[in-house]
Amino acid sequence: MAMSMMRSALLRNSLRSASKPSAPTRRGFSSSANHDDAYEAAKWEKITYLGAASCTILAIYNLSRGHPHSETPPEYPYLHIRNKEFPWDLDVDLEIF
Amino acid sequence: MIFSQRHSYHLVDPSPWPISGSLGALATTVGGVMYMHSFQGGATLLSLGLLFILYTMFVWWRDVLRESTLEGHHTKVVQLGLRYGFILFIVSEVMFFFAFFWAFFHSSLAPTVEIGGIWPPKGIGVLDPWEIPFLNTLILLSSGAAVTWAHHAILAGKEKRAVYALAATVLLALVFTGFQGMEYYQAPFTISDSIYGSTFFLATGFHGFHVIIGTLFLIICGIRQYLGHLTKEHHVGFEAAAWYWHFVDVVWLFLFVSIYWWGGI
Repeated sequence: MAMSMMRSALLRNSLRSASKPSAPTRRGFSSSANHDDAYEAAKWEKITYLGAASCTILAIYNLSRGHPHSETPPEYPYLHIRNKEFPWDLDVDLEIF
Repeated sequence: MIFSQRHSYHLVDPSPWPISGSLGALATTVGGVMYMHSFQGGATLLSLGLLFILYTMFVWWRDVLRESTLEGHHTKVVQLGLRYGFILFIVSEVMFFFAFFWAFFHSSLAPTVEIGGIWPPKGIGVLDPWEIPFLNTLILLSSGAAVTWAHHAILAGKEKRAVYALAATVLLALVFTGFQGMEYYQAPFTISDSIYGSTFFLATGFHGFHVIIGTLFLIICGIRQYLGHLTKEHHVGFEAAAWYWHFVDVVWLFLFVSIYWWGGI
């Protein structure tokens, strides 16, 4: 989606710069660009609210369920690798790494 | 405005910031290596280097804002050059993340016997992709919608609505980062737990770092929109931030599908 947006923006600009210098800088596909953008802005505003609302519901659902506590696995040699000291000598909990 | 100029290109003034940024990067690299190998003075050089870079970023971008907003150097042709430059930057970022996906698929498609010949490695308790990661997917997609809302509001000349839309984008971005932080804290594995932990935290960690950068970029756009810097015809900074935000969003979709979902079953 981002790529196509970039491409269209580039195309729009190259078209614009290729046209006559006296031509007014206006979006070519619409005679009333303002109205179009106002419509699109309102549409995407609604989509944002819809997305945010579903995120809120899903967040409440997820957070209310809590998370399972997994058992400590056996001490396989590839887990919890400690080859050398950490470069800092602060009194912090190094088990988060 | 410059009255004697007969072309629309921006011939920049000599600036000390490229060399100061380079020296900052050099000090950061050397200081970082020294620090990680416990050399004396490593931490000092690293901090100095980072400070130098942050200072350079501040003053350089301050100059760019003065050149564009106050001096009017960013003509149509200059804007086009800036867009090309930013697209090339995003392409380089795609390559950066490509490397981490390569490391992940290299390790997970044919798991070695040292990790039990399976992926996820034996003993790794993975995160459920349909809990927080899926929620984060929705949050990022919603913030992508919000940034599109901001874009159309700017084009329609609705200045106040654009500020609200950018605030919504930033808010969703901060919620994403909050959930990622919570997930990191509660994760049953760490970066030192096998190649799984290494590839997982390298890829998702760098993504998180990019989300934070994108959030700062959008915050700056919001402030500039509030101050009236961005207009219908003149908002390259915002467009760059929006492209960057969509890029970060797309990287997350790939992370979600390959590392969280496919790599977690």
